[in-house]
Amino acid sequence: MKTTRAIDTFVEETGGWVASQLEACTRCGICAEACHFYQATGNPDFAPVWKVELLKRAYEQEFTLGGKLRTMLHLQKKVDEADLEAWSKLVYEACTVCNKCAMVCPMGIQLGPIIHDVRAGLAEAGMVPDDLAAAVNKQIEEGSPLGVTDDVFESRLEWIADDWEIDLPVDKEGADTLVIFSSIEIMKFPDNLAHIASILNAAGENWTLSSKAREVVNFGFYEGSADHTRLLLSRVFDGAVELGVKKIVVTECGHAYDALRWTAPNLMDVPDIEITHIAAVLGEYVESGRITLKAGAYDGDGKITFHDACKIQRRGGHIEEPRKLLSILAPESFTEMTPNREQAICCGGGGGVIAIKEADPIRYKAFELKIAQAEAVGAETVVMACSNCRLQFLDGAEHFDWDMKFRGLAEMVAEAME
Amino acid sequence: MTKGSEPQETIYEHLRSKGVSRRDFVKYCGALAGTMAFCGVPAPVEASGLPASLAGPQADATPLIVRAFETKPRVPVIWLEFQDCAGCTEALTRSQSPTLGDLVLNEISIDYHETLFAAAGFQAEENRDAMMQKYHGQYVLVVEGSIPVADGGIHCTIGGRTALDLLEEAAEGAAAIISTGNCSSFGGLPKADPNPTEAKGVWEIITDKPVVNIPGCPAIPEVTTAVLLQFIVFGTLPELDDLNRPKTFYGQTIHDRCLRRPFYEAGKFAKSFDDEGARKGWCLYKLGCKGPTTYNACATIKWDAGLSFPIQSGHPCLGCSQPNFWDGGGFYQGQSAPLNRPGAAAVGVAAAAGAVVGAGAATANRMKKRRAGSAEPGDEDA
Amino acid sequence: MDWNATLEFARGPFFTAALFVFVGGLTYRLVRVLTLGWSRDRVPSAGSKAGGVAKSYGKGLIIWPFVPWVKQTFAGNAVTLIAGGIFHLGLFAIIIFGAPHMLAWKSMLGFGWPTLPLPIIDWLAAAAIAAMVALAINRVANPLLRKLSGPAEALNWLFVFLPMLTGYMTTHHLLFRYEVIYSLHVLAVDVMLIWIPFSRISHFVFYFFSRTIHGAQFGKRAVTP
Ligand code: SF4
Ligand code: SF4
Ligand code: SF4
Repeated sequence: MKTTRAIDTFVEETGGWVASQLEACTRCGICAEACHFYQATGNPDFAPVWKVELLKRAYEQEFTLGGKLRTMLHLQKKVDEADLEAWSKLVYEACTVCNKCAMVCPMGIQLGPIIHDVRAGLAEAGMVPDDLAAAVNKQIEEGSPLGVTDDVFESRLEWIADDWEIDLPVDKEGADTLVIFSSIEIMKFPDNLAHIASILNAAGENWTLSSKAREVVNFGFYEGSADHTRLLLSRVFDGAVELGVKKIVVTECGHAYDALRWTAPNLMDVPDIEITHIAAVLGEYVESGRITLKAGAYDGDGKITFHDACKIQRRGGHIEEPRKLLSILAPESFTEMTPNREQAICCGGGGGVIAIKEADPIRYKAFELKIAQAEAVGAETVVMACSNCRLQFLDGAEHFDWDMKFRGLAEMVAEAME
Repeated sequence: MTKGSEPQETIYEHLRSKGVSRRDFVKYCGALAGTMAFCGVPAPVEASGLPASLAGPQADATPLIVRAFETKPRVPVIWLEFQDCAGCTEALTRSQSPTLGDLVLNEISIDYHETLFAAAGFQAEENRDAMMQKYHGQYVLVVEGSIPVADGGIHCTIGGRTALDLLEEAAEGAAAIISTGNCSSFGGLPKADPNPTEAKGVWEIITDKPVVNIPGCPAIPEVTTAVLLQFIVFGTLPELDDLNRPKTFYGQTIHDRCLRRPFYEAGKFAKSFDDEGARKGWCLYKLGCKGPTTYNACATIKWDAGLSFPIQSGHPCLGCSQPNFWDGGGFYQGQSAPLNRPGAAAVGVAAAAGAVVGAGAATANRMKKRRAGSAEPGDEDA
Repeated sequence: MDWNATLEFARGPFFTAALFVFVGGLTYRLVRVLTLGWSRDRVPSAGSKAGGVAKSYGKGLIIWPFVPWVKQTFAGNAVTLIAGGIFHLGLFAIIIFGAPHMLAWKSMLGFGWPTLPLPIIDWLAAAAIAAMVALAINRVANPLLRKLSGPAEALNWLFVFLPMLTGYMTTHHLLFRYEVIYSLHVLAVDVMLIWIPFSRISHFVFYFFSRTIHGAQFGKRAVTP
């Protein structure tokens, strides 16, 4: 039954877009070298191409004459429940859907999105790892995976507004811009709310928060379930439509940005509202002079480097803005890690991986690559624009007892405003 | 030469009776020895009846031939032409030294030859029948032209009898058979697709007698002469390969001995008959040369008294000595090219067949997708 | 064995049949994939899809393996990348610019083009053959590649290797008579043509799908693909 549901979903998800890419793969294995999980562990199971093997087999057995023949002659095993279990571990625990692998595949196969399709099948079959499934349920039921219920939301905002002495408009009538935070920020990095609010206020933005669209994180998207993704997306869009805003600003959550900006229109009918990321907003403010920054504010503070989040930079497109900002803020001490930009190495905690306890060992292993990368350029501060990455950096640093400072881009901008 | 000679008469006696002086006789023998040595025909000492001491590797074969001609009776030759163009005969009469063909064919032993014979019609036929009876089991049968077997062989008849019939009759009493030219060896032009007469080579029909194939279009006359001579003088046939060709002449390809080969190796090709490459004598591969797969002696013996051969004169080898050479691709089409140019229509049919199977699979797949409940292809990432 | 007849068979009816299977088989696969349906991308672009596609091909075809930022990948996969690159370079140079191959194309297409001198082709061929051997060893030695390889991969290798080996031997008149090794070469090519539609060698077709998709995906996000 589980298998049938998974296969049905694979059948459903597999159009020409997926099929042509599955057909293009030469099984050269080059993609493996791009994956931080493979690089860190050397485990061949973690090769991106192997992660999509399940979908490939399903595709062959369901759609191709050769595959049907092979399964009939028992030359190829039909996908069964044991396979689903095995792949559940691979695609949820050992993949952050960072899509770095697509950058090195000679064929240019979009392995990340295809792995997402594998997750979709497993999600329909109910094969999501317990921790992640629990978080999904929690978000569906309470509105947030981290327990930011209506009450919590209200009290946290009150506390932040008080503590940072900042104006945090909620459900403001006639606002142009809706800013939606992730519960990670609300619960773990409350200063981020304050900093972003101060920047928006300084820029004279007519903005608001929404009590309805108060969670930007989309655990349904992590899990891969189209229905859940849609449900959680619609909460955001409904809130935005109710307020009549023209623009939605996603703050520091990469996966949420991917879901809202780059996936939603293909999943459902979306309102005609511009969706952008805070990193882009910051860049635009500085560019247009709506805020001015103290040049060289962070120079002399040791080397600063920037960590590209897969879903904000490589998959989001906001590669240049943070660099523009940093070249003003720390023209001397800003240094790039290699590889960087769209080729950057993932932090290892994205894609829901950090929410799964079983994934901890390989998650830490993968993080070692990031440590090595930052140390190779002698960085003393790592800047990033994703709170999920920041969580991984903090957790990883604690685990490895790594002495390094981590800062959010918005925070740095806020503190350097003139 | 209108009537047969006494079998007891030796070749020398025969020549003397035709007015050839002793001096000229020795000269002929020298010329023949030259040809045979040049062509690599071994001169078996025993056959000559001379002491072995006279035959060394460098030994001049002239005395052997003189001795053989003085002691051996004439070997009669019967030359039959079927589906041919007489090109081989034509070539032979122009062979190396003008006297050579004459010598062998006219003077030594020819007893029936449609083209060279003065006699014609029933007179000639009668003469042939008489010869065949008289020299039964001794004569050499040379065949020029292919034999059609379709419809009972009616596509080639002489004097009311089919070529097949004539061949079988003549072969029955022959000591050896020589097929000269591609037609009698492998069917030649008459056999070209679609081969309406079902033309065949001699060795496909006569299987109980030694048949020497000397393919070529025409056969190199020196080769025919040399093989004939070997049998006439020494009573032996040359060593043959698996296509019954004398190994001495057909052991190597044209390409193996081609004077343009260095250009082939260097990748320097003439691309047309009057470009710079052609003027510089570059390899003719791109002009369709079949030299690499053609077994013949053109590159060594050459033509017109060793003057030249096609490739030397600037024309690619046609592969005229190979079986089915008329169907081996265009003369000027690269040897590496597929034999048939698949028409766009045929390729279209193949593609259409693939498309039909594909569409079948597509229908099944779409039904499957509908059953699985998807309205759309479902690529959120498209 | 009558090699003359074998050669005729290989160059004639067998080649024609192989070509039909090749064309028919690839059409089948294309139709099958194309008819699975393509949804329209409704996501508003931030950059240029077309520009992304152009860059994707530029990178994919020319500079990709040699750019420094894939150093890490390069180091982990030197054999696959270098040998794979040499193999493809050699293969395409030879089947397009080798004189006998050009003549084969010419006979089918009706027009020809200049060819490369044999010594160059020869070195490329030797390099490509050596690269294929290296790739085979690598495929067996590397645990991941072993995992990814089944009988199909072995056959892919074999059916590509045989034409290359026999081709090399044909030009050099090695071991066999010319018409023998030449027949074997053409037979090997025919077999390869038949195998291609049923194998991943057909990636040369689907390459254009995935590479285009890659370019469009990154282009629409205004990211260098
Ligand atoms: S998307 Fe990222 S984590 Fe997943 S397989 Fe590819 S490189 Fe690895
Ligand atoms: S790099 Fe691309 S072609 Fe090679 S195995 Fe991975 S997905 Fe397949
Ligand atoms: S001209 Fe013909 S026989 Fe001579 S080398 Fe070139 S291909 Fe070979």
